[in-house]
Amino acid sequence: MFYHIALEHDVLLHPRYFGPQLLDTVKQKLYREVEGTCTGKYGFVIAVTHIDNIGCGLILPGQGFVVYTVKYKAIVFRPFKGEVLEAVVTQLNKVGMFAEIGPLSCFISHHSIPSELQFCPNTSPPCYKSKEENIAIQPEDTIRLKIVGTRVDASGIFAIGTLMDDYLGLIH
Amino acid sequence: MSDYDSDQESYHGGSGSEPEEDSNSQVDRSPSVSEAEENNQEEEVADEQEPEGEDLNSENEYDEEEDEEDNRPSKKKKKNERFGGFIIDEADVDDEVEEDDDWEDGAGEYGIVANEVDELGPTAREIEGRRRGTNLWDSQNEDEIEEYLRKKYADASAPIKHFGDAGEELADEITQQTLLPGVKDPNLWMVKCRIGDEKNTALLLMRKFIAYQLTENPLKIKSIVSPEGVKGYIYIESYKQTHVKSAIENVSSLKMGFWKQQMVPIKEMTDVLKVVKVQTGLRSKQWVRLKRGLYKDDIAQVDYVDLAQNHVHLKLLPRIDYTRPRGALRASMDSEALKRKKKRRPAAKPFDPEAIRAIGGEVTSDGDFLIFEGNRYSRKGFLYKNFYINAITADGIKPTLSELEKFEEAPEGIDIELPVSNKDNSANSQSLSSGDNVEVCSGELINLQGKVLSIDGDMVTIMPKHDDLKLPLEFMASELRKFFKQGDHVRVVGGRYEGDTGLIVRVEQNRIVLFSDVTMHELEVLPRDLQLCSDMASGVDSLGQFQWGDLVQLDPQNVGVIVRIEREKMHILNMAGKLVEAKPQSLNKKKEHRNTIGVDALGNSIQRRDIVKVIDGPHTGMHGEIKHLYRHHAFLYSRLMTDNGGIFVCRLRHIALAGNSTNKQAITAPQNGFASPQITSPRHTPGSPFGGGGGGGSGGRGGGAGGRFSGVRRDRDLIGQTIRITGGPYKGAVGIVKDATECTARVELHSSCQTISVDRRNITIVGQQSKDGRLTSSYSRTPVNSMMTPGYREGGKTPVQGSMTPNYEVGNRTPHFGSTTPSHDGSKTPTQAWDPAAGYTPARVTDNDLEYPMDPGTPFAQTPNTLYGSSDHSYSPYQGISPSRGSNSYINTPSPINTASPRSIQYHQVPSPSGSYASLMSSSSVSSPGLAAPSLTSFGLPPGWQTTDIFVRITDSDLAGQSGIIRDVSEATCSVYLPEEERVVTIENDNLEPIMPKSKDHVKVLCGSYRDRTGNMLAIEGSEGVVLMPDEKNPILIPLLHLCLAT
Repeated sequence: MFYHIALEHDVLLHPRYFGPQLLDTVKQKLYREVEGTCTGKYGFVIAVTHIDNIGCGLILPGQGFVVYTVKYKAIVFRPFKGEVLEAVVTQLNKVGMFAEIGPLSCFISHHSIPSELQFCPNTSPPCYKSKEENIAIQPEDTIRLKIVGTRVDASGIFAIGTLMDDYLGLIH
Repeated sequence: MSDYDSDQESYHGGSGSEPEEDSNSQVDRSPSVSEAEENNQEEEVADEQEPEGEDLNSENEYDEEEDEEDNRPSKKKKKNERFGGFIIDEADVDDEVEEDDDWEDGAGEYGIVANEVDELGPTAREIEGRRRGTNLWDSQNEDEIEEYLRKKYADASAPIKHFGDAGEELADEITQQTLLPGVKDPNLWMVKCRIGDEKNTALLLMRKFIAYQLTENPLKIKSIVSPEGVKGYIYIESYKQTHVKSAIENVSSLKMGFWKQQMVPIKEMTDVLKVVKVQTGLRSKQWVRLKRGLYKDDIAQVDYVDLAQNHVHLKLLPRIDYTRPRGALRASMDSEALKRKKKRRPAAKPFDPEAIRAIGGEVTSDGDFLIFEGNRYSRKGFLYKNFYINAITADGIKPTLSELEKFEEAPEGIDIELPVSNKDNSANSQSLSSGDNVEVCSGELINLQGKVLSIDGDMVTIMPKHDDLKLPLEFMASELRKFFKQGDHVRVVGGRYEGDTGLIVRVEQNRIVLFSDVTMHELEVLPRDLQLCSDMASGVDSLGQFQWGDLVQLDPQNVGVIVRIEREKMHILNMAGKLVEAKPQSLNKKKEHRNTIGVDALGNSIQRRDIVKVIDGPHTGMHGEIKHLYRHHAFLYSRLMTDNGGIFVCRLRHIALAGNSTNKQAITAPQNGFASPQITSPRHTPGSPFGGGGGGGSGGRGGGAGGRFSGVRRDRDLIGQTIRITGGPYKGAVGIVKDATECTARVELHSSCQTISVDRRNITIVGQQSKDGRLTSSYSRTPVNSMMTPGYREGGKTPVQGSMTPNYEVGNRTPHFGSTTPSHDGSKTPTQAWDPAAGYTPARVTDNDLEYPMDPGTPFAQTPNTLYGSSDHSYSPYQGISPSRGSNSYINTPSPINTASPRSIQYHQVPSPSGSYASLMSSSSVSSPGLAAPSLTSFGLPPGWQTTDIFVRITDSDLAGQSGIIRDVSEATCSVYLPEEERVVTIENDNLEPIMPKSKDHVKVLCGSYRDRTGNMLAIEGSEGVVLMPDEKNPILIPLLHLCLAT
């Protein structure tokens, strides 16, 4: 789910940037340091939309670096258990399929794929297809899946999903 | 009290009342009630409700009750549990507070006889009060007492009123607390009683009490308690021991307790009446121990449990006294001996019918069982007998090994599994922890889900997940099983995957499929081995010294990468791409060179952490990061690879470096001089430490290459410089370099008192221009420079570089001389030989840049002499190169571009133009002064020049200075025939040097296209000899260097 939330970040700035462009530098640095990161609590920071406040810089004793506490608003993407999302299939194998929802990678175990869809390793590219061959999920296809579990690492979120529900599966 | 007819735990027979009660007809009328009251010392609430005891019964049992009362005189002697009046569930007080209220308004409704209400209602309280009071009360009149009691109980009921319905639990608890006996209350005395007569005795005493209560000397005891399950004792409540004594006087069943009564400490009084919940935990096949009797402390196995009868059928080893004569023989034994024998406890051993018959005992059989003295014995010799459940202990019984063995002597299949299942049970209870989601797996509430709140021994309190169940429930641990949902992140806490974590992808009855976090495998585990895991650990990735992804040595020839670690073994992907399992003990961690380099299919040098694409072989199309390089194989990691945790193995020739900026350079270089791929490889070596800047500096790197292999070198030039860290966690920090190697620097930070190691890539020297601007200029100045760290590239460093170059060479040559690896020198194969010829010399590389573009394809014959000289030298540093180097170059051989043929041509060509040894040396010095040194000793021949039937001089060994004839040449040694000593010795190739022929000598050509040809030297012209070979018409000019005196 996407949220637009207020967040805070400490920007550490080298003294050499102290000058007329200082605040711009702070902003640039904020964008660079924050966008694209992921935290367990808020998920992926997609984009900073607005910088609310750049606090006063605090000089770190002994270093000359300055810390700015920046309050900003950002769009974050936080996957939840039970959430239904659309994803792009990246890889298929007999164990299941991997899909990506933007920055989030998701694994769908073959246990969670409806049994009518069978893995066909011999086709190129390999795919999951039904007996009647009217549905075939291949890499690059868009599917709708439901997240059944997430694992949050320091650097990212990994999800496992399922296709075993109504209206889930390949999107035509 | 509502539990009158439930099979109750505690039985209270008893009589007791105070003197005041004498006047109280209620005691006579319904002793049950009064007893109950008396007994319930601890539970005032219950006492207060005494009347309600009947009230509750009144609903269902009132008639019955009345009947009983009517019939009591006749029934008194019976020990009948339906004597509702005598058997009161005292311990079950929990509900009584509520019931109290019910009683107040419900009494009338339930149709209790009016006068009963009148009598019971108020008197119940009074009785309690009196009982609690002292004998002083005797002096007070009834009204005063009543008033006193009213006040007292008004207070006592206060908490109930105060907390009302909302605070039920709390109120209950508090009221319970107030009910605990104190010092002022009568004591409980434990009186020994004939076993089995406890209840009867209690009844008897009650009758005695009643009989005496109107006499001069009423019994001054308060109550008699005979809890269910307590054998051999009854409890008598009284203020003084003498009261007890007088009460039990002349009671035959209590005779043995007459002299000694034990007082129950106040604190333990509640325990006397504590309801020991029937050990529902008892299951068949469980191990138990007996608490008393002949079999005290013996181990026994539960055969079946009969809860209703409170019996448990046990299987155990009988203790039969085989020395005591039975039956007909009995008389023959004199009684004294018999007595003596009795004291001894017979040994526990299987029943032996023969021995029994021998002592005159009779053994009959009943089906599968043998019966002896009323006991049943199995054919295996085990005794099967009923015991009271409370005569055994079942908690935490662990049979010793010897005990187990005895039981397993009889190999009933079932027994063998027992210890296992037992262990499972205990493990099960252990592994539950609060917070776990559980499911009830047996009993009425089967399938109820809940969350564990707390665990107390075997009892587990869970909060059910049910709309109608709001209160925590208690279960035996064995009644619960763990419950998981798809998507839960769990840790495996037992079994072979212990320590792994993963997400649950499938839940079945007794099987859960996990998707491991680390290895991307699916694991199948039992629910009981799992635990919800909140910390999201990374799973098992290390075991002892091994880590997931480590390169390990399987055997001297094979290595593999750990792709999965389990508790006792590891799965290893070997070089063939096969998964093998190995114990950690059998593995060696493979020491890896940090800078191991390989060459991919396109001739690019590749090393660890490079991203490559698989262009051939089974994994075609995959991209991956190189985790390890080993000989011809690369272990790659790709997230998209689902097997083996994403690791797969490829042959080097099947992979190509995925394009980046360094690549272009790499590709062009081999095109120029692809004849020597080695040139490119060293240049790429710095790829990682120096990023993409290395392209143009191939020459410079060539020099560096040799040095690299001589180990980590200190870079003194950076030491003392003030640098700024440009990347990583310390980015922006400024410090002084305290020490530096080619890839890392120890930096003492200005800001904090810390010295850290920083990647050389991530530092710039303070006060210098940005790298980019400098890079080009450094190219233009000296290609060598570009290969250096940023610091080198900066201006004003030229002198440093100058000094560096020889440094490198010395660096690589020194080890080589000292320790020439035989394998290299001995290797005769042309492929190996041309490797050096192809040129590793640092200095030459500069030449390459000029030379190769000129004529990449042509043999070296056309190139100037000096060039060859230098190339000749080059192999000497080359020899110093580590074996891995050799393998690299070897690998290149098959690659499509670097076909062997041009090289071999090269090789042969190389020597031909060169002149004499001396000239060679001088030529070599042209390229770089430092090079001259090695070439002097290595007399200008490629390794492997040795051939048979030539005269050689032994240079270095105990035979030094002697000359001989090579008889045979092997890998690293030659068999040399020493004419002086008339024997054949084996000499290392390194220690031989050819004897230069003189004019008119018979000579043999050591290298070049005429290798191994023989001829006669006609004359010497400068550095060349004029050789006439038998099958050539014209004499040929061959460098003297390449000629040797032949036999």
